[in-house]
Amino acid sequence: MTLTVRDLSIRYGFFALLIGLALFFYAAEPAFMSVRSFVFVFQSVAITAILALGVTGTLVVGGFDLSIGSVAASSMMAASYAMVIWGWGTVETVMLCVAFGLFVGFINGLIIVYGRVPDLLATLGTMFLLLGLQLVPTAGRSIAKGMILPDGSTATGSFDPSFLMLGRSRLFDIVPVSVVVMLALAVAIFVFLEFTRWGRVMYAIGSNEQASRLAGAPVNRYKIAAYMISGGFAAIGGILLAARVGRGDVSSGNNLLLDGVAAALIGFAVLGAAKPNAFGTLVGALFVGMLLQGLTMMNAPYYTQDAVKGAVLVLALLFTFAMTRRAGS
Amino acid sequence: MKLMNFTRRRFAGLALGAAALLSGTSLSMAQNMPAPFDNAGDVEIALVRYLSTGDFFQAYLTGVQEQAKALGVELRVLDSRQDAALQADMVDQAIALGVDGIIVQHGLTESMTAAVQRAVDAGIKVVAFDVDVENEAVPQIEQSDRDLARLALEQAIADNGEEFEAAYVYVPGIAPLDRRDETWREFKEKYPGIEEAAQFGTLDNPIANSVANQASAVLRANPGVTVVFAPYDEFAKGVKIAVDEAGLSSDIKIYSADISTADIQAMREEPSAWVATAATNPELIGEVSVRALAMLLAGEDPGHNVVVPPTLVTRDMLMEKDINNMDELSQKLPQFATTDVAKPDWMPATGE
Amino acid sequence: MQTGQAAPANNRVLEIAGLEKSFGPNRVLKGVDLSVSAGEVLVLMGANGAGKSTLVKIIAGVQPPGDGRLTLDGAPFEPDRPIDALNAGLSVVHQQINDSVAPDLSVTQNLLLDRLCSGKAGSFYSPRRARREAAEIQAILGLSLPLDRAVRDIPLADRQLVAICRALAENPKVLVLDEPTSSLSQREAERLFGIVETLRSRGVAILYITHRMSDIRRLADRIVTLRDGRITGEFRPPLDYEAAVTAMLGETVRPAAMERGEAHATVFSVENYQLKSWSRPFSMALQAGEVTAITGLVGTGKSEFAEAIFGVRRPAAGEMRLNGQPYAPKTSGAAIEAGVFMAAKDRGTNSLIPAFDIARNLSLPFLTRRSRAGFIDSGAERHRAKRTIADLSIVCQSETDHMATLSGGNQQKVVVGRWLSEPSTLLILDEPFQGVDIRARHDIGRRLRETAADRATLILVTEIDEAVEVADRILVMSDHTIVGDHRTGPELDLSLLLAQVAGDQTAENMPKVQESAVG
Repeated sequence: MTLTVRDLSIRYGFFALLIGLALFFYAAEPAFMSVRSFVFVFQSVAITAILALGVTGTLVVGGFDLSIGSVAASSMMAASYAMVIWGWGTVETVMLCVAFGLFVGFINGLIIVYGRVPDLLATLGTMFLLLGLQLVPTAGRSIAKGMILPDGSTATGSFDPSFLMLGRSRLFDIVPVSVVVMLALAVAIFVFLEFTRWGRVMYAIGSNEQASRLAGAPVNRYKIAAYMISGGFAAIGGILLAARVGRGDVSSGNNLLLDGVAAALIGFAVLGAAKPNAFGTLVGALFVGMLLQGLTMMNAPYYTQDAVKGAVLVLALLFTFAMTRRAGS
Repeated sequence: MKLMNFTRRRFAGLALGAAALLSGTSLSMAQNMPAPFDNAGDVEIALVRYLSTGDFFQAYLTGVQEQAKALGVELRVLDSRQDAALQADMVDQAIALGVDGIIVQHGLTESMTAAVQRAVDAGIKVVAFDVDVENEAVPQIEQSDRDLARLALEQAIADNGEEFEAAYVYVPGIAPLDRRDETWREFKEKYPGIEEAAQFGTLDNPIANSVANQASAVLRANPGVTVVFAPYDEFAKGVKIAVDEAGLSSDIKIYSADISTADIQAMREEPSAWVATAATNPELIGEVSVRALAMLLAGEDPGHNVVVPPTLVTRDMLMEKDINNMDELSQKLPQFATTDVAKPDWMPATGE
Repeated sequence: MQTGQAAPANNRVLEIAGLEKSFGPNRVLKGVDLSVSAGEVLVLMGANGAGKSTLVKIIAGVQPPGDGRLTLDGAPFEPDRPIDALNAGLSVVHQQINDSVAPDLSVTQNLLLDRLCSGKAGSFYSPRRARREAAEIQAILGLSLPLDRAVRDIPLADRQLVAICRALAENPKVLVLDEPTSSLSQREAERLFGIVETLRSRGVAILYITHRMSDIRRLADRIVTLRDGRITGEFRPPLDYEAAVTAMLGETVRPAAMERGEAHATVFSVENYQLKSWSRPFSMALQAGEVTAITGLVGTGKSEFAEAIFGVRRPAAGEMRLNGQPYAPKTSGAAIEAGVFMAAKDRGTNSLIPAFDIARNLSLPFLTRRSRAGFIDSGAERHRAKRTIADLSIVCQSETDHMATLSGGNQQKVVVGRWLSEPSTLLILDEPFQGVDIRARHDIGRRLRETAADRATLILVTEIDEAVEVADRILVMSDHTIVGDHRTGPELDLSLLLAQVAGDQTAENMPKVQESAVG
């Protein structure tokens, strides 16, 4: 099979862009090309990428999850609350947060599958619900060691040092733990989606739900599982966020949602996949991270960053839909 | 009175007997107060808010509530949650409810000017916090952003001399940050030895996390930076994360504005590059807002600009006095907890 | 009827000259010359993949031509968009009915869709006026469709009529019908033929695309055959149908001399079975080694029966037995587990995964058997796919071809091949020959027979020809119950069968059905 110029550009165009960009930043700012610099790009996107990998799971079954940002934000609050106010240890806290994320995903799945509410609307509802609920336990205050509770008493717990390690320590003094977590999850979801029968059935459902059902797939269970994956991943993202920031910040997580979804959509364009895929999502997240890092180093004003993100997304979607569609028909 | 203030939260959890005692005190006070506070139960004031989420605004609300309670007036809180049009409607609602006074907390000049004018025309007393409503009859309550920036920068110069390479965190278009920015520019002119090597900043949520990502890049691109001026505590928190991750905690000093319990904890960490912050106690601003309004209602003039002075809080102070949270800060730094601004003799202190 | 009706050749409305079209390196149309005259039904015959669909899309303005010249009523005809073609006086009814109707809109709105979209209707939608106009449009064809119902709620055949009515709403000079009878029963098709004849008599030029001999015999004034992107024959009255088929396929296709199967033990049976609470109970049994067809009009319950056996629908009453054991699958997964497979009708909606290649489409129901510890053995998957491609003569580059690159017949082979790739106890095929050319039909039928020995095979077809061709035994379904049971072969009483299909004959045949259920 010979590859035409178009095939080549669809397949490797995005990588070419990535390398070209790296060279451009290197020319403009030599500090850009260093091991630390690359480690940092990974670190800066780790949390976003984890959310993006999770939402890839729902995209694969033809769904969408708008609640990942608020799940991450709520998970961060839950982790802080468990440690600072209940005085829990690291293991229990992490388990609580992951269970929380899975539970939210399960509820999302139930609403979508059995309530027949369209995915965007259902997860939009969950998003708002969580934005409000996460503020209830502390009456809208951020959670930090020594904080004063609504009843006037002072919180006695604090962040477990081993918990903070999740966000702050480095493996071999170079690779942050959050990056290790991100890579591990990326490999796991990649293998799951590409090489296992469960992943295969998820793609089948996303492409033609009715045909998958008639081929014997328990479609409802798979869809619920997909939302649990995105909820669980988002919760892990929230844990890392809490560990990095070291407190429970009141936040909407909307930027996490938008960046995560953007990464997953940019991933469509990687290697001309034209479909949600874990590898593409990771590359998409790194691409955005590298771009922002380079722009910041060059002292670009903050408002250019969103514009650049948007431009990359549009470009990637054009790659995906305009070029591959034409070649396919 | 000061003693009462120090211990007020200790007593907050106490049972009804103490509460009855306290209300007895304020009743006896009421006789000494000017009209209409001799019959304070009939006075109703409204707090019309534009911003409400976050520690600062929570503490501000607490201050308003405490002072209103001390005066014995009814307080009604209307929260527009960053909806400018709704906030204007809420002022009209308050007018319709027949309140005696209104505190406007933040908002947009464009949407509030007309609404506040309607309230003034209806004979209602109005004060405004951190929003310019362009009205002579309305006292402006301010935490002095310029003073905040000045205090922090003076400390920076005291610590580092008049020549250093600095990184500056700033997002234009936010009124308090813009005012702090003016002071920063004045300082740069006054001390040509200050070199601004980089400017960055973002308000992407969670802000600390996003700023940390930017700061990491900036610090690597500009290894000579020794001072970071981050005149907003979320910025400072983000820079601190980046400095810690880069292992530069002892080489870089962060100067900021605002403070919270979480900030105190971050500054106390060992080591911590976050050495100083200038802050106005948001609870105090809330109290001053109510006091200024009360003076207006009593026919006194609090002045057109009611400025609540800031306090400088350094890491050394926190360590020496073993301050762990905002309560302890109020107790151990009296200048942070009280102010004589807008405080005539008859004004009851909070907690009494 | 067609003799003498052929319109004079100088009255050409639509002319196509030297039309070329390529997709990448793939030349689909290689210089097509064609013309249709007013008051003429020109039948365009072509096997799947011959280029018919591409030709229609170019005429309809969906795709641009590669090269060549199109003329409509003497003026150059270069539609960039479907609306241009419509405005120029050319209406198209596509083969995929759902391409021609908006399922969620009412019949009225569908009939007026072109007007609504073109802006001729003004900015405001008046339901009353719309209803009146819609009534006028359907009066053209003397129809009485339920104007207020949503199109998704009316039967497929009625949807087809809505699409045709809509095409006629703008008084077209040329009407293109792309396989309009592919999902119609004989009675419904008869109604369509009447409509086509009416239009012909009004002077509409009709380009009728089909490969169904019954349609061609009934309607054609002239036949043009398309094969491999070229016109391979033009036939004028008296029409030589056999020659036309030969020109279309490139060789004479003889009906496959099928060896009839031998019935063995009963594999599957139902007892006092009711599909609907109001339908008459029936009993029947299927034997291993035998191919049984159920025929009947569209909407008489064939598909419902199949879905009930496959576990995606519940019968109203009665019980099923599989190999003598009670059988009541709750899901399609349970049915597959029990060895009951079903190739659903309407492959695009119910069977194919467009994002998957051939190999993955084939393996989808059997992934558990194709994987170890959850990991798919893709080598085995591809190996099996290659075998299926060879067994069914699927025309493709390789097993990694995507569905969109295959013609309809080859897509259908993939669907059938999927369910033949593992041994089954009972294999159900619902309309396996839908939109499939004669050769693909033979390939599928041959393969079904080759593999039929160890299982019971149940085929649901509307076309009696197809049933006769492929089955050992034909059951007739009418009103959601079985009304006839026939053996194919010389003794087949075709006129009784037709009467039963039409719903005229039921009672006297029933005892026979009951008996066979016991056997």
